[in-house]
Amino acid sequence: MSGKIKTQIEFLVALQDLDIMIKEIEEVKELGFEVKGEGLSALMGARDDLVQKIKKPLLAAYERLRNRYKRAIVPVKDDNCLGCFMRLPTSITAHGRTDKEVLICENCGRILYWLS
Amino acid sequence: MDKFELVPYFNEALFIPALRARTKESVLEELVDCFVQAKFLRNPTIALEMVHRREQLGSTGIGHGIAIPHGRTTAAAEVMIAFGYSKNGIDWQAMDGKPVHLMFMVLAPPQELNNRYLPVLGRLVEVLSEPHHRDKFHSVGTYSDFINLLKN
Repeated sequence: MSGKIKTQIEFLVALQDLDIMIKEIEEVKELGFEVKGEGLSALMGARDDLVQKIKKPLLAAYERLRNRYKRAIVPVKDDNCLGCFMRLPTSITAHGRTDKEVLICENCGRILYWLS
Repeated sequence: MDKFELVPYFNEALFIPALRARTKESVLEELVDCFVQAKFLRNPTIALEMVHRREQLGSTGIGHGIAIPHGRTTAAAEVMIAFGYSKNGIDWQAMDGKPVHLMFMVLAPPQELNNRYLPVLGRLVEVLSEPHHRDKFHSVGTYSDFINLLKN
């Protein structure tokens, strides 16, 4: 699974997805879905593994942004940051789609992820 | 939310009347790949990671031959549902232990303006919990049949 994820931005996105999943467990359970106790432990273990793969300054930024905005990573659509809705400069948009670099919105500071 | 309101979350490009995959793992891949082919996702890796993790939490096989793999992913732009049918059935470790024939994959972004993800997921469970209704999904061959069934 995570073997296919290679770059720092992909690890960060996987971490955010996992954090959201953990946070919404009760709501999903109420809808009638199976949630195993050992499943939650497995997710927490997976989170620890992911955290180990993320560089410390990026992880610190992720946690800081998560505390501030709830969502540290926001999508980019039509060259706009969907966190603060500001248009991103071409110096950033030219590099975003490759997933090779972790790019930050210069206006709000959130981590950017390109949807298309 | 009535049944008709589920229709906007489906798309013909996300309709697979005969899945090629024969295992749970490969069905998850085929459904995620369908989102990529339909240009609802750019990179399948992130979404696949998320749906695999979700299955670790507990099987999304809700019984009666139905599975609803689901989750929020930063890679998704909007709430969308892919449908796949397997005539032979897939071992999904479902709640009732029976093979799964009808698979509905629900992907949603981390945040949405209207907050529809959980209501859509709940409505889908509700619709598919009606025996009379869910049995009809086994015989749909075309997308228009499928949508008409949802509307009715």
